[in-house]
Amino acid sequence: MHVLVEFIVSLASTVGFGLITNIPRRSLLPAGITGSMAWTVYYLVLQVNHGLILPNFFAAIVIGILGNISAVLFKVPVNIIYVPSLVSLVPGGILYLGMRSFTLGQESHTSEYLFNTLTIAIALAVGFVVAEVIFYRIKPLLMKLVQAPKTSD
Amino acid sequence: MEKSITEDDVISLCGKVGKILLTSGAETSRVESTVEYIGKAAHYDIACHATITALFVGTNNQSRTHLVKVQLGDWNLQKVDEINTVSRKFVRGQLDFHTLKESVEKIDRKEIDFNWPLKIIGAGFVSVAPMLLFKATWTDLSYAFFVGIIGYLGAVLAGYRIKTPYVAAGCGGFIVGFLAATLQFSGLGSSAGNIIVSALMPLVPGVAITNSFREIIDRNTISGVVRAVDAVIIAGSIGAGVVIGTSLCKLIFAWIGG
Repeated sequence: MHVLVEFIVSLASTVGFGLITNIPRRSLLPAGITGSMAWTVYYLVLQVNHGLILPNFFAAIVIGILGNISAVLFKVPVNIIYVPSLVSLVPGGILYLGMRSFTLGQESHTSEYLFNTLTIAIALAVGFVVAEVIFYRIKPLLMKLVQAPKTSD
Repeated sequence: MEKSITEDDVISLCGKVGKILLTSGAETSRVESTVEYIGKAAHYDIACHATITALFVGTNNQSRTHLVKVQLGDWNLQKVDEINTVSRKFVRGQLDFHTLKESVEKIDRKEIDFNWPLKIIGAGFVSVAPMLLFKATWTDLSYAFFVGIIGYLGAVLAGYRIKTPYVAAGCGGFIVGFLAATLQFSGLGSSAGNIIVSALMPLVPGVAITNSFREIIDRNTISGVVRAVDAVIIAGSIGAGVVIGTSLCKLIFAWIGG
């Protein structure tokens, strides 16, 4: 039940950010599904592992693979799928909290939040690299399936 | 047909393509590869170096270089997609050079955007952060929906009026902080902190900071660092705005209730 609510809210969130960042209309739904799948994976991993790194890492792998697949299927640059589907994972809120503590002069909070920001951002970036490595393994298979002429990386 | 294209034509077109891509939020490696593909398809050996603040285009066998200055822009991924589509058609030979030039000019001038009601609803949905689901109360989250919309609108409108960098984000933060604190002090919302974090989601540069790390891993160190510093300063101005808004609200309530 909780998982379903998480799925729907993150779907709305991703599509919403897609509207703000002005992505092409045909990529709204794939981006939304990518984002909400990634958030669901994040939520499920979080039940097992309460750290910052593993949940974000696995979510980024999901975004990387699904994003690349839908980039091939819907013929859009892959960044267009990445940007909106990242919105519920990215450390924007924590970065804000860190800078607010900085403004208020609370040093220990500042360093804690900023380090969390750094950790999450690096976990996501490494997840993308791993996902792209996996994707290049399955890309020939996918190409055979869609029978499309050469599309984006 | 190919003879009629001069080197200058290709270089200036490539500069324009790169500028549109960079200001609309594409990664620098994609900008470089797109520009070089276009050059190759026009039978010129184009070299392109893109950073987030400047773009250099030149051909490898002579010394002239075209320098394009770029300002950090907002996301407009639709433009990235359209440029990508026309450049791919050109590379495949379905478009000739002059049609490509015309369509690039058209994309550059065109205001491509979703209409405002859709954007407003989008900002509202982003403001209900899944991060806070089951941590904040549902009433707080529904307040965040509306506070987020107002904050986003405030930031965008301030961005049109005020050209000083970072002020727009600060205005958004100020509005969100002020409204959230008002909701808490008037007893309507239970936690201003949760409302603020949730409602700031459309404004905070989270995606920018993640992309900056992807660029750094991709060895585009300059662009990555520029993006990261920019993101931290945007977050700082939002934070300052929120602090000012909240304390102003506290002052007003102390004055009324005093």
